[in-house]
Amino acid sequence: MPHQCVKCGTLYDDGSNEILQGCKCGGKLFFYIKKQSLERKEELIRLTKKEKEQIEEDIYDIIGNQIDKEKTIVLDIETINILKPGKYEIDLVNLFKKQPLIYKLEEGKYMIDIIESFKKMRDAHDEK
Amino acid sequence: MTGIFKKLLSKFFKNIFKKKKKVKLGLYGPPNGGKTTLANKICKDWLGEEMGTVSNISHETREIQIKEEITIKSKGKELTFNLVDTPGIATKIDYEEFIKEGLKEKEAKTRAKEATKGVIDSIKWLDDMDVVIVVLDATKDPYTQVNITIIGNLEARDIPVLLVANKIDLKKADIKKVQSAFPQYEVIGISAKFGNNLDDFYEALFRVAG
Repeated sequence: MPHQCVKCGTLYDDGSNEILQGCKCGGKLFFYIKKQSLERKEELIRLTKKEKEQIEEDIYDIIGNQIDKEKTIVLDIETINILKPGKYEIDLVNLFKKQPLIYKLEEGKYMIDIIESFKKMRDAHDEK
Repeated sequence: MTGIFKKLLSKFFKNIFKKKKKVKLGLYGPPNGGKTTLANKICKDWLGEEMGTVSNISHETREIQIKEEITIKSKGKELTFNLVDTPGIATKIDYEEFIKEGLKEKEAKTRAKEATKGVIDSIKWLDDMDVVIVVLDATKDPYTQVNITIIGNLEARDIPVLLVANKIDLKKADIKKVQSAFPQYEVIGISAKFGNNLDDFYEALFRVAG
């Protein structure tokens, strides 16, 4: 399964060093792309540099600021699909199933349990 | 010695003021169905103050809003709950829709981003709810993916549901259509804006949550 850098759109095969250490452009955020969604890579490549940067910023805003930007993050685009800045598609069925937005695929790839992060945010909110 | 006394005293007070678990009553539904209008109406009726701002542009509520300890009374019965108003749940959020409603591009894109985060938040909070009021716009087709997914998930989680068909003050409103889409639930037609049929709504709330 390939991974695509959100910043520059470069595709990497599963297990590539770049996914573990970050893309050669410096990006640490990757889309995880299932085979059937491969046409998506074309869409992302067509976006301008500014749009790609905006998407990257928006993703960090949406998934919360507890995330360590220094670590490589792989996003599951099946749940939240960002077509371009300001255009979102949400897969409610999967979101309700509590599937995490971000996966750890194998050793060295970073996972963020979004449900846990939301729980923490909520607990902090409750304590206020 | 003073230390032990202080500890005992603080334990005593902690026990006195220990919070009881409150019923969490969530308002869920698609954007612009009237969740915040209904929340405001409930708060106005029982607390004398409003909860949040409403707007004709969809996705006005983008953060979870909580109003604590609302006690409603009807026919000698009492029900106390924390009211949780949630952002509208949608499958597609497009900033261009907000531009059509009159927002500037930057504002529209921020609203789209916050609305997306709001959808995730609403879904994450669902497990915390004891009772859910699903607010649907009775002038719109009830057979949508959003409505079916929300109601199906509530059913699967065994969360008691009160289905509200809002906006019955409008000619196009069709309560029967909402009822036939979700026959397993009691549907109460109301106008949150004008306060129509709210007595029936509160009665039904006692039946579901009481």
